[in-house]
Amino acid sequence: MRVLIFSWEYPPRIVGKLVHYVNNLAKELVKRKIGVYVVTFHDYLTGCRREANNIITCRVSNPVRTHIGVLTWVLTLNQEVERIAAEVYYNSKRQISLIDVQDWHFIPAAVTIKKAFNIPFIYSVESIEEHRSHGANSPFNLSIKSIEWLGTFESCRIIVKSEWMKNEIIRFYNVPTEKIVVIQPKSQEWIGRILQIYNEATKDVGGYI
Amino acid sequence: MGRTLRVVMFSWEYPPRVVGGISPHVYYLSKSLAKNSVDVYVVTCDFPGAPSREIVDGVHVLRIDSYKNPAPDFATWIYLMNMNMRKEAAALIRSLNGEVDILHAHDWLVASATIGLKHIFRIPLIATIHSTEFGRRNGIHTDYERMIHETERWLTYEAWKVVCCSNYMISHVAWVFGVPSDKLVMIPNGVNIADFQISFNKEEFRRRYALPEEKLVLFVGRLVYEKGAQVLVEAIPKVLSKVNAKFVIVGDGYMRNPLLKRVHEMGLTHKVLFTGFVDDWTLKRLYNCADVCVVPSLYEPFGITALEAMASKAPLVVSDTGGLSEIVEHDHSGVKVYVNNSDSLAWGITRILLDPAHAETLKENAFQKVMREYDWNGISVRLRQLYSLVHEEYLRGSWKPK
Repeated sequence: MRVLIFSWEYPPRIVGKLVHYVNNLAKELVKRKIGVYVVTFHDYLTGCRREANNIITCRVSNPVRTHIGVLTWVLTLNQEVERIAAEVYYNSKRQISLIDVQDWHFIPAAVTIKKAFNIPFIYSVESIEEHRSHGANSPFNLSIKSIEWLGTFESCRIIVKSEWMKNEIIRFYNVPTEKIVVIQPKSQEWIGRILQIYNEATKDVGGYI
Repeated sequence: MGRTLRVVMFSWEYPPRVVGGISPHVYYLSKSLAKNSVDVYVVTCDFPGAPSREIVDGVHVLRIDSYKNPAPDFATWIYLMNMNMRKEAAALIRSLNGEVDILHAHDWLVASATIGLKHIFRIPLIATIHSTEFGRRNGIHTDYERMIHETERWLTYEAWKVVCCSNYMISHVAWVFGVPSDKLVMIPNGVNIADFQISFNKEEFRRRYALPEEKLVLFVGRLVYEKGAQVLVEAIPKVLSKVNAKFVIVGDGYMRNPLLKRVHEMGLTHKVLFTGFVDDWTLKRLYNCADVCVVPSLYEPFGITALEAMASKAPLVVSDTGGLSEIVEHDHSGVKVYVNNSDSLAWGITRILLDPAHAETLKENAFQKVMREYDWNGISVRLRQLYSLVHEEYLRGSWKPK
């Protein structure tokens, strides 16, 4: 199984606590013989390389240097994510099992790749804009919410870390209950459950996609 | 190649959605390409009442849902629209088994959609730069403008070839984005000549605008500073001292009231008619009735008005700037005058009005030129050659997917 993990933060770039989850996830997957490509942002450590721990990192920077905010920055960065993901796709004989997207930033790229190559994606939720912005509904917040909605709609599964988040997503984005899976990161069965969902997702192509 | 060349063109406007000049450009270009056996798809934004899929004059049109996402400002809306455009176009290209030879982008408004798709499907990208943020704003002054400027630069960087409509724009794009000259291709804008060949009762129509003894001087353009209507207004008394004429000014803009005031001050209200915007039906007839058509622009990337006048056999006076400099050869296909100089402009107008035989030669030469160089059919053949060239280079290269 070959998995692409999309995350806007990954060591050495640490923004919040999502980075620890992604780092741990990649390490545990590699231990279980999963081909792991972490696609992430870094301003200058760009390109793909195999790290000592066998994780392949693919870092991209933004070709548009000047921005008016995080939203335009994210939206233009997605084309570079698409470029590098396509590079992995073509260099691995078009064998990518699925994409695991961490939070909203790279949902646009995951959606394009799904439509282009029929590769399913999982939307893994750390937090949602409704909570981050404390319910603010400016056009800026609504834009991000609309991208998160796209993720809930186009993904084949949504992985959340608590029952509370599951209920919040159902409440806020009207997602069918069975599409959301709760897997607590600290639990014993965590990585086993993640792998189980990955396996289901790749087999369910056509059903969920 | 086993099948005809297939192109997917991207434009944020296509009829019935008309915001500016890109819409008619893409309409006529795609239609002429289809006539010249290119399989053309146009991906564009939706418009109330227009179907999401249809075939227009042999062109497959896909209108995407472009107002799905709320956005804080125009540029963010554009990037979000591009996200949706990428999504829907990716599904389209997949439905064609990825068998698309060229992606063609029109301006930065579709930059991120086409760049993403280029890399995903590994299809060569061609970009037409119609205008630049630098040109539109006369420099880059804010982060917002710089972001758009850098997006435009990114598009020219990612494109296999960059098309501009005039040599003036070629040199501007080369300078402002640092594009190497072998990537730049000049293919002019076109005009649909047949649209301007009309027969009607000229005398009756002309009576609405001018007295029979008055020559009709026509200006067509937005009433904004760079179009130079103020230069024309200052030239009016100088022309009238030599020849009796009526000045018909078509268009609207923020300078309308200052211009009206100036005409009033000069006591020439009876000699100048401000029509505001007019419909195509009226405009074509005005061109056909004009004794001289004036394009006194201070800044002009191309100058489509000049082509319309040439197609209508109206003698031309243009200021020697931008694209106009290339369209008109002085004293052969029109009269060129100094930029922002009402004395020179008055001289040019008077020269045509007082020498009907010369005017006849000029408009005949101009018509021949427009037929030869600016007909959409000929332009689409040139573009098809560019597509084929890029496609052949692509086939020889190693970037195409294995």
